[in-house]
Amino acid sequence: MKRILSQAVKELAQFRRDRLTLALALLLPLMTLLIFGFAIRLEAKDIPIVIQDFDNSQLSRLYTEKLFATNQFTPVNWQSAPETALDYNFAKAAVMIPPDFSQRVTGNQSSEVQVIVDGTDVNNARVIKNSIKATTQAFLQDQKLIPENRLVVPETRLWFNPGREESLYIVPGVYAVVLWIFPSLLAAIAMVREKERGTILQVYASDLTAGELILGKALAYLVVGLGMAIVIMGIGALIFRLRFAGDPMPLLIGTPLYLWASVMFGIMLGARTASQNAAVQGVALVGFLTALLLSGFIYPLSNIPFPLSLVSNVVPARYFIGITRDAYVRGIGWSGVWFNLLMIFGLGLILFNVARKALSRMQLGD
Amino acid sequence: MLRQFFASRFWALVRKEVNQIVRNKQLLIMLIVPPTLQLLIYGFALNPDVHHLKLGVVDYAQTADSRELVAALTENRIFDVEMVTFDESVLARQVETGKLTVGMVIPPKFSRDLAGDRPSPIQFFIDGVDANTAGIASGYIRQIVQQFNQQYLSPNMRVPISTQVIFLYNQGLTSSWFFVPGVMGLVLTLIGSIVSSITVIREKDTGTLEQLLMTPSEAWEISLSKVVPLFVLLMGDVLLALTIGRLIFNVPFRGNFLLFMVLSGLYVFVGIGVGIMLATLCQSQQQVVLTTFFINLPMVQLSGAIAPIETMPKFFQYLSIVNPLRHYIAIVRGILLKGVGLEALWLHVLALAVFAIGLLAISTNRFRNQLN
Repeated sequence: MKRILSQAVKELAQFRRDRLTLALALLLPLMTLLIFGFAIRLEAKDIPIVIQDFDNSQLSRLYTEKLFATNQFTPVNWQSAPETALDYNFAKAAVMIPPDFSQRVTGNQSSEVQVIVDGTDVNNARVIKNSIKATTQAFLQDQKLIPENRLVVPETRLWFNPGREESLYIVPGVYAVVLWIFPSLLAAIAMVREKERGTILQVYASDLTAGELILGKALAYLVVGLGMAIVIMGIGALIFRLRFAGDPMPLLIGTPLYLWASVMFGIMLGARTASQNAAVQGVALVGFLTALLLSGFIYPLSNIPFPLSLVSNVVPARYFIGITRDAYVRGIGWSGVWFNLLMIFGLGLILFNVARKALSRMQLGD
Repeated sequence: MLRQFFASRFWALVRKEVNQIVRNKQLLIMLIVPPTLQLLIYGFALNPDVHHLKLGVVDYAQTADSRELVAALTENRIFDVEMVTFDESVLARQVETGKLTVGMVIPPKFSRDLAGDRPSPIQFFIDGVDANTAGIASGYIRQIVQQFNQQYLSPNMRVPISTQVIFLYNQGLTSSWFFVPGVMGLVLTLIGSIVSSITVIREKDTGTLEQLLMTPSEAWEISLSKVVPLFVLLMGDVLLALTIGRLIFNVPFRGNFLLFMVLSGLYVFVGIGVGIMLATLCQSQQQVVLTTFFINLPMVQLSGAIAPIETMPKFFQYLSIVNPLRHYIAIVRGILLKGVGLEALWLHVLALAVFAIGLLAISTNRFRNQLN
């Protein structure tokens, strides 16, 4: 135990002396939090659309007004063919009102409004379509053009996030991404540096076991990681106005567990790669990709197709995102997230064992 | 003339660079494996489709009408009924814990209301944690219920206005068509900057740069001989990424191939420029890999590769104008999906050219100064 502690103290002293790494360890997580937290939004606002009103009657003008009343769209002036407005990216959609619009609508016939939507951005194409359909329906109701009786009326309520603030979804996810990448990156670099500089030979010569070496290093970076966690969660709460929705205990216990798994992941990569460059590439590729893409951070987990969905089962970030979203948005507490805590703990244990084996094979006696 | 070129010092330097790169297995693997993996994982895993949402139903009415309404909701596979219960609190609990996305409660008087020509309210509660999915789901609910009203309840009713929506460029809304062109740019950025910074810094690290300087080679010959082989290799990555996009994701290629290659070449110069710049700023390989991380992260996130530019706050939208990757991705999406040419893309091309020339000029200049 004492040897583990002194190993950790030595590691921290080394870490403090390396100015560049120290600066990056402070700046990178913060930068990531701000960029991800502010810039990852999925739903577009102020979408530019072209209206071509061939009818130009009072009714068609009312319809146009209704489309812009939601503040979701902004009008774009465009005289030539509407497709070219989309080609040139001046507008995301075009609505064409036929010349006999008001005549047919008031004359007990039906009129077809043509809408073309830029399908490049798939998600917003869907949003635009839904919005135009809903506005058309609302317009018909406003104008008393459809009967109000014999109707099923959906009363939808959004739980947890009635204002549909995307930051509530994204920011707790960013915590998981940041606290996965950076602690593991630092631990991997520290591990591999020992190999590159040959100082690992001194460790071989001592009677330190592989387990002790790893635990000592892990302890040091766990401390660094906890510092990171406090800083980004504190600043995140201030800037994005996140408040605990329920019992914060699962988060308080889950964070050190998650950091532990992250550090173990880094040490494992460090033990298995030959150069710092390879270690950083490893973290960037494996750690970053899995935490970002296979964790349900951006789009729902259930959308990941089959072989990849299996991989996502062993991505700790996935389970930690469950915990952070529960702590800040859902607020269910233990009964909702105990399994996540268990999984993070288990995955951390597996990573520790893999790292220990990798190191033992490189001659450290056990 | 040609023979003269092949006998020149410059050619000898290029051959030295090529030999060095080809002999470095790690570098070759880096040029092939990470781009392939990234394209595959981004392309498959990022999927904003809203379908097979888990729906829980409490149907107190138990009539033909209510069953028809549930059937209408599940018809298009947007919602799948996962649970049917008579206990509202159980349903609420499932939505609370996120096991169900949507809960629906049909009141006992549902059919009586309809028969009595009264509006009949149905409660839907949606798990709002994922704001985007929740928004689209509630949009679908409204549309489906409205269709139900028209088709089932009053089939003879006239629809005064119907909207005919057509999606241009991507009719089936295949999500990978959006992400793959973005990831092509992302891959070139990451690989281009890392590979070029490493080939330069290694020469500094191992001290072979001094040896090069002792040869009669001019500084421009040394720097140009570094750029040319990197350019060729990275153009290979452009083709690799394009092949994966075409063959595996069936992304269309509607524009001009030559234009695509020329503009990709321009972007490769940006990547090399960034890489050499970092190599001249840093002292060691470790610093280089860490700082590339520092540069690439914001460059990728503010490029529209993953989250579209239009959805970002205004400040970040303006900031992204100085991001060359943003322009390259707009160009790739334009050429591949929209099939447009210079007439629509010239602004992006202009911006890209400015960045490419500027970055390359500044970085090779710094490199030359360090040589002298």
